Amino acid sequence: MRSSIDTPRAPREWLQFGIGAAVVAGMCFPAIWMSYSALKTNREIFRKPYALPETWQWENLSKAWQDGGLGGLYLNSIIVTAAAVTLCAFAATLAAYAFARLEFPGRRALYRVFLIGLLLPPPAVAIALFTQLRDMGLLNTLWALIFANAAWTLSITLYLMTGYFRTVKREMEEAARLEGANTFQVFWSVVLPMVKPAVITTAILNTINIWNELMFALLFISDDASRTLPAGIVRFSGFHSTNYALVFAALTLTTVPIMTFYFVSQRHVIRGLTAARAE
Amino acid sequence: MPSGNQRGTAAQKNGLGGGRPGEGAGITNLLFVIPALTLYAIFVLLPLASSLYYALTDWDGIGSPRWVGLANFSRAFSDDIHLASYVHVTLYIIGTLIFEVSFGLIMAVLLNSDRPGFALLRGLFFSPVVLSMSAAGVLWTFVFDYRTGLINGMLKGMGLSDWAQPWLSQPATALLCVMLVSGWKFAGFYMILFFAALRRIPRSLYEAATLEGAGPIRQFFSITLPLLKQNVLICGLLAVTGGFAGFDLFFTMTNGQPYNSTEVPVTWIVKMGFDSDQLGYGIALTVILTVVVSLVSLLYLRFAERSHAVEY
Repeated sequence: MRSSIDTPRAPREWLQFGIGAAVVAGMCFPAIWMSYSALKTNREIFRKPYALPETWQWENLSKAWQDGGLGGLYLNSIIVTAAAVTLCAFAATLAAYAFARLEFPGRRALYRVFLIGLLLPPPAVAIALFTQLRDMGLLNTLWALIFANAAWTLSITLYLMTGYFRTVKREMEEAARLEGANTFQVFWSVVLPMVKPAVITTAILNTINIWNELMFALLFISDDASRTLPAGIVRFSGFHSTNYALVFAALTLTTVPIMTFYFVSQRHVIRGLTAARAE
Repeated sequence: MPSGNQRGTAAQKNGLGGGRPGEGAGITNLLFVIPALTLYAIFVLLPLASSLYYALTDWDGIGSPRWVGLANFSRAFSDDIHLASYVHVTLYIIGTLIFEVSFGLIMAVLLNSDRPGFALLRGLFFSPVVLSMSAAGVLWTFVFDYRTGLINGMLKGMGLSDWAQPWLSQPATALLCVMLVSGWKFAGFYMILFFAALRRIPRSLYEAATLEGAGPIRQFFSITLPLLKQNVLICGLLAVTGGFAGFDLFFTMTNGQPYNSTEVPVTWIVKMGFDSDQLGYGIALTVILTVVVSLVSLLYLRFAERSHAVEY
């Protein structure tokens, strides 16, 4: 493996790189186009769709931020994502520990029931969940999204965490038990530190999914006050469908942070995905 | 699992030391599952169960539901748009198998190199996966726009103005456009999965094949593809089950238009349930969707089990 890096590239390898780079550049272009079009006037976008801005209209960004109420949307998205990811991580880690390590009545059957959620698509319950949340008085509150998202990411998180628990050695736990620690103490001071990497990986995966979740957000929230970013963006672009620059500015302002998050946590995201689907 | 099971019991007996191993301890252990079970039961299992009841009523969401038996289901099977939505989603799934899974596989092979630069290309190729579907949908709506979109702009620039199309507002191209965007969005996801699998193929196999004079294409079909068979099957399952639940892109790009030519089951369910206040009917459609997805995945898994007898 090492030697192939040190030797100069063969023509075939340059060709491979060239084709790969061309495809990737073509795929990235729409996003780049969006970012610089956000800084043009509408007339420029219409006349010369490809050209760079003649004068960079930075005020488009602040206008989009205010008109779109992006501050509020961001805040709601952050609250929903943070709460749902935490809730899911908490519930799934405890349950995964029990399923992988402990014995209790109905263990296998319960695990199967949780796995059903891996195959079910969220739309399968969309309407029934809507009426249920209404009866619970949770509609139009962030709680609706927090609970729904946490519950619908539970199966995959539990599945991954249980798989991870099975790869972790038991010696430490058994030693702690011999020293007289009870199940909860073992979980808290021995197990939790050991499975931290898996908790982080699944949490990052869930963060991206819940941050981008659209269907629940559209159905359960009709108040501007509790709308989240994906639903807000769809609504905003519907209102301003002719004001290209403004929509592009809003899109840019909402995509840059999640892309930054991705490039910072890339290693975890990719590790999580490959673990998620390897089974 | 069986061995883990036994060891679990053993470890527990050790741990409990003086206490009484058995039923009492089992119940305490159940406590660990309670938070997850509560959440899952209330927000996944309960609505799933209540769907089965409401599907048999003509509920409008406000009054009390009236029992109508299987009327919603017989209506669903004579609802032309509903039936067509399954045709569209099947076409869409075929599209995702081409533009997402196959394209992802090709890119995984193409970008599989330790040379500097390839890691960056893989990272960039994957990046649309992270974007929200709504942002991707809105962005591409503008790319496909008739007057100012990039595609028509490019065609005009090349002197092919006649080829300019109202891409998203004519039935002939709308569904294809959604498929392409879906490919743009998710090919990176499958690329990463295949890439991880490619890394596990021993390099010596390729070296031996090169020595025997097999070219890259020959190597792909006689080494890579057979060894990735299992991964291809899994990715296929993900694409099929994910495809049936497709909603976000359809909602943001076309919402079923033009003339219901891009209507898929979920967009139609949302329209029936929420826009026309026929919750009973809408819920019956979700039950049908659940049954279809479960049946298709079970059949698929059965088929995959039978055919993955390839080992290396």
